[in-house]
Amino acid sequence: MQSKFSDIELIEQTLAGNQSAYADLVKRHQRFVFTLALRFAKTREDAEEIAQDCFIKAYRSLNSFQRQSKFTTWLYSIVYTTAMTALRKKRVDTDSIDDENTYIQVENQTGGYDVNNVENKSRSYYLNQAIAQLLPDDATIITLFYNGEQSLEEIGQTMGIEPNTVKVKLFRARQRLKEKLERNLKHEVNELI
Amino acid sequence: MNTIEEKLWNYIDGSCNEADQQAIALLIAQDEVYRNKYYELLQLNAEFAAMDLDEPPMAFTYNVMETIRAEHASQPLKAAIDKRIIRGICFFFVFTISVILIYALASIHWSAGSTSTHNVNTSVLPDLKHLLSGPIMNGFLFFDVVLGLYLFDGYLRKKSLSKIDESVQTSGQQKPQ
Repeated sequence: MQSKFSDIELIEQTLAGNQSAYADLVKRHQRFVFTLALRFAKTREDAEEIAQDCFIKAYRSLNSFQRQSKFTTWLYSIVYTTAMTALRKKRVDTDSIDDENTYIQVENQTGGYDVNNVENKSRSYYLNQAIAQLLPDDATIITLFYNGEQSLEEIGQTMGIEPNTVKVKLFRARQRLKEKLERNLKHEVNELI
Repeated sequence: MNTIEEKLWNYIDGSCNEADQQAIALLIAQDEVYRNKYYELLQLNAEFAAMDLDEPPMAFTYNVMETIRAEHASQPLKAAIDKRIIRGICFFFVFTISVILIYALASIHWSAGSTSTHNVNTSVLPDLKHLLSGPIMNGFLFFDVVLGLYLFDGYLRKKSLSKIDESVQTSGQQKPQ
C-alpha cells in the first residue's frame, strides 16, 4: 500500500530517524528507478544492483537534498550518474559505450514472454524490445519523458544538459525508437510469412 | 525547425510558441501529408506514453532497507560515541601521566649526579598494595571484561559488514558482461 504522505513529508520523517518512512519512499519509486536502471544494464540482476545502490546513495545524502527541485528529479539524477558509472565500469574490457550494435543483443531483457507465440505478443512487447535496443541515453530520455513525466528542463537537470539539447535528443530518440519498432515488427511479419 | 516530423513533435509536446502552434494547426487542417503524419505520430505518442514500468524483485525494498540498517548498525562504533567522553578520557590519561612524571622528576635527587644511580625517594610514594586487593581488583577485571566484549562486538560487526560488501562485489563481478 502506498503511503499517503508526500515525498517531502517522507523525507522529513526519514531525517527525523523514521526508517520506515524511507521504506515507503523506496516502495513508491522503485519501479521507475528499476526501469531506468534497466535502460543501462543488460540484465535484471545488474539493474537491481544499480537501483539498490541508488536508493542507498540517496539515503546517505538525503541531508543534502535542497528541495529546490522535485525529489524525483534529484533521485533520477543519482540513478543516471550511478548507472552511467556502472556501465562504464562494465564496458572497460568490452565494447565502446557509443556502439549502438552492442544493444541489439538484449532482446530477451524484458523476459517472461513466449517468444515463439507471436500472436500473443502485444505491440507493447515490441516497444519494450525496441527500447532495449536503443542507446542508454536515448532510452533514458524516452523513459524520463513518458514514464517519469519529467519536463525538458527536469530531464536536463537529471542528465546535466541544456533543455534545448534535451529537445533535440528526444526528437532523435523518438525517431530511432520508431525505426527500431518498425524494423522489429517487419522482421516478425517476415518470419510469419 | 527542420522536418515535418520535428514540427509535429513540437506541436504534440506543446514545446513551440503560440505562432508556430497556430501555423502547424493550420497545416494539419489543410495539408493531407501533415494530417496523416500528425495522426501517425499521435498514435505513436500514445503508445510511448502507455509503456509499462518493469517490476523489481519482491524483496527489493527489504534488501535496500537491510543494507541501510547494516550500515546504521556500524555507526555507533565510530560516530555515536560522544566526543566529550573521548576528550575526557584523553584528559584523564594526560593528566595522570603528567602528575606521575612531575612527581617522579621531583623525587629525584639531582645533587647525587656524580654517582651512576638516581636515588628516587620511594618512601614518599603512596603504598599501592592495599589498592590491588579485593573489590577494586574485581572491579578492574570486570571493567576489562566489559571493554573486551565491547571490542569483540566491534570486531564482529566490522567482519559482518565486510562480508556483505564482499558478497555485493562478487555478485557484481559474476554478472555476465
